[in-house]
Amino acid sequence: MFVPTTRRKAVTWLATATAAAALVFGAAKAQGTTAAPTTLTLYSGQHETLADALAAGFFEATGIRVDVRTGKDADLVNQIIEEGGRSPADLFLSEEPGPMNALASRGLLAPVDPETLAKVQPSLNPGTGDWVAVAARSRVIFYNPQLIDESALPKGILELTDPAWKGKFAYAPSGAFVSTVTYLINAIGEDQTLAWLKGIQANGLNLQKNGAVRDAVEAGQVAFGLSNHYYWYLLAQSRGGEENLASRVHYMGGGDAGALLLASGAAVLKSSRHQAEAQRFLAWLADAQGGQQIIANESPQYPLALGVSSPLGLKPIEELSPPAIDQNSLQDLDKAKELIIQAGII
Amino acid sequence: MLVALLALTPVAYLLFRGGISLPLLLRELSSPTTGILVTNTLLLALGVTLTCAGLGVALALLVVRTDLPARPLLTVLFALPLGIPSFVGSYTWVATFYELAPRSTFIYGLPGAVIILSLAMYPYIYLPVVAALRGLDPAQEEAARSLGTSAAVAFFRVTLPQLRTAIAGGGLIVALHMFAEFGALELLRFRTLTTAIVQRVTVLSAPEAARTLSLVLAVGSLALLVLDLKVRGRPSAARTGGGVARAPSLWRLGRSRWLWLGASGFLLTLALGVPLSAMGGGLVRLLLRPDAAFDWARLIGATQDTAQYALATALAASIAAIPVSLLAVRYPGRLAMLTERSTWIAHSLPGVIVSLALVYLSVRWLYPIYQTSSMLVIGYVILYLPIAVGAQQVGFGHASPQFDNVARSLGVRSLATFFRVTLPLALPGIAVGAVLVMLNVGKELTMTLLLHPTGTRTLATALWATTEGEVLDFAAAAPYAAALVAITAIPAFVMIRQTLRRPARR
Repeated sequence: MFVPTTRRKAVTWLATATAAAALVFGAAKAQGTTAAPTTLTLYSGQHETLADALAAGFFEATGIRVDVRTGKDADLVNQIIEEGGRSPADLFLSEEPGPMNALASRGLLAPVDPETLAKVQPSLNPGTGDWVAVAARSRVIFYNPQLIDESALPKGILELTDPAWKGKFAYAPSGAFVSTVTYLINAIGEDQTLAWLKGIQANGLNLQKNGAVRDAVEAGQVAFGLSNHYYWYLLAQSRGGEENLASRVHYMGGGDAGALLLASGAAVLKSSRHQAEAQRFLAWLADAQGGQQIIANESPQYPLALGVSSPLGLKPIEELSPPAIDQNSLQDLDKAKELIIQAGII
Repeated sequence: MLVALLALTPVAYLLFRGGISLPLLLRELSSPTTGILVTNTLLLALGVTLTCAGLGVALALLVVRTDLPARPLLTVLFALPLGIPSFVGSYTWVATFYELAPRSTFIYGLPGAVIILSLAMYPYIYLPVVAALRGLDPAQEEAARSLGTSAAVAFFRVTLPQLRTAIAGGGLIVALHMFAEFGALELLRFRTLTTAIVQRVTVLSAPEAARTLSLVLAVGSLALLVLDLKVRGRPSAARTGGGVARAPSLWRLGRSRWLWLGASGFLLTLALGVPLSAMGGGLVRLLLRPDAAFDWARLIGATQDTAQYALATALAASIAAIPVSLLAVRYPGRLAMLTERSTWIAHSLPGVIVSLALVYLSVRWLYPIYQTSSMLVIGYVILYLPIAVGAQQVGFGHASPQFDNVARSLGVRSLATFFRVTLPLALPGIAVGAVLVMLNVGKELTMTLLLHPTGTRTLATALWATTEGEVLDFAAAAPYAAALVAITAIPAFVMIRQTLRRPARR
């Protein structure tokens, strides 16, 4: 009844499967044994290319290896919180100040060496000294000159709730957007902020991601968009220069909420068993001759060590005139989340 | 039972991890977006599932039951979109539109999402239906014909009902996939419960608010699982006659065969041509770029890791699934049903939630394996177990217990009977399940990001890292996308070749 080939097939299948299992268990074991004593683990919310370049640069300078785990800021924060005191991470590098503050307020960060803090522009370090600001991004407007004149752009982001702007602009509820909301809660109060969010929700096009906002403006699907300067310069880099883009960047200035300057932070986790080496990484990262060079050259963010500037054509950081704040004040993420959900944005 | 318990751990996490309370739940449910999100999710799942069912059955019939030219080739080609991850597919569509019609917003929103996701998902119905059609004995349909019914009526009344298990199994996978889909929908600008959940976790860092929405999603999938049971009905019709079943007579398409061939070509252009040409274009641009410094070692490493995880999970999931599917097919009852259904729930939850549950649990109780490949494989098994179970049920359905009885009556012991009779008969189904699991693991993104061993990467995470869905230049992503498609196309191809060979028995 049963032709032998069927059974032979079954045997082949089982053999293949067993071999595969052996392969994987072998691999798992191999991974278990490679942990060297001086390897740091970095959880990074920055783009992987930059984080990898920093790890390579630090290894070159000190001989200490850094394993990088990339993810989104908030993802990694959740993960560190769920891992609790047993987190394998020694270091955390973020894109935004908010997630840093979230970890700091839970007591998960070790204080940064004062010498390290002194290496960068003091205005962007948090007052608490729980983390060090190593790069910055400016909130800006991207606009498409074929659809709107720079002079016709709004003077401040608060006026975007006016129905006249309906359908004209795009936005993305990104980490920087959450930071903006946190800032607004401090600046104009909870009720006004909620009203503003509802207006944005009604008038704007929610494109979920900053990259999508930029691309929609560039393609001419929408006249302008709220975003971070960073994304536009990334696109300019990959297209071979700013002159190849249809869209432009408008820096709002004037201390407007739409000109917020947000710090990317680095910190040592309190649970790390390599405190000395981890602090050494922060010191190197904040140093004008160390990590700051890599940040300036590898990504269109503002380096923050005194005497280092970006070669990538950004508007000089001294000319930005953002609102004056302590980065540490961008802390009440819970309220911001609640309002964003209430307004129906996420 | 153990398997079911493992599969239910994420649900337990949802219910018992602190931070969920009735007031919070009520406040979430009354938030203005919840209603919109629920409607969007249902519309999407319904639209994609129905479109996939129509496409899948029609294409399966075309290649199994008609005299369409080049059927062996088409049989394989139709299955290949399976190897293109939905987020990569959508990405290529978005990139293509930006290139050809930058101002068009046609592909965004519900219609675009239904079309593009259906093109990526229909093989989940097409494949089991092809397998089921091949296994059917044409005698029943012929008996109906001999009693005077027309070919079409005989098909709808006799053959189609026999395909129910295959269609329902595939449809359930598609619908639950839609419940859990994230990357593609974010690119296509369509908001569902899952996109909101993921954004709440990844942008707002508000897992409590995300968990409440996940509960809504879990209730939705429960409803779907019950519905599926009703649609599926009883497993039926194993063939027991002596001798070998004939190949069914083919429907002659006549002249319209060229029309059908043209339609097939058009479909393949959309489902395969667009993604592949965007990838090819990206590869060419990458190689022509003056500063072409692409890290090939990284690509090779990612490919190896992906292949290892996929093989290990396929094996583990197949073994874990066998008792569940055997129980469900052979001893249907309340217990069997609960066990089988429970494996599905985790499948419909977003990868982020399942992963967070596993992070939480493994850090506390299984710390030695946290962030090792074993943990990741366990996570994959939880996610994709039902896919193996679904396919295996079709396989075991064809392995009638009467064969076992015959073997037993000839003096073969029960364990031996299982290995020598039941398992070989169900093997095609088990193999389909294993391959489907392999494909899914190859494509998985969100869970891999959270659970992978630090320092390793799969093709999907490497692809994600080059783009993060935020750089529209496909060049940097293209090699990973191409490798991913290549690696997932191989098992699909082998499997189809296997099904193509006429079985010697039956």
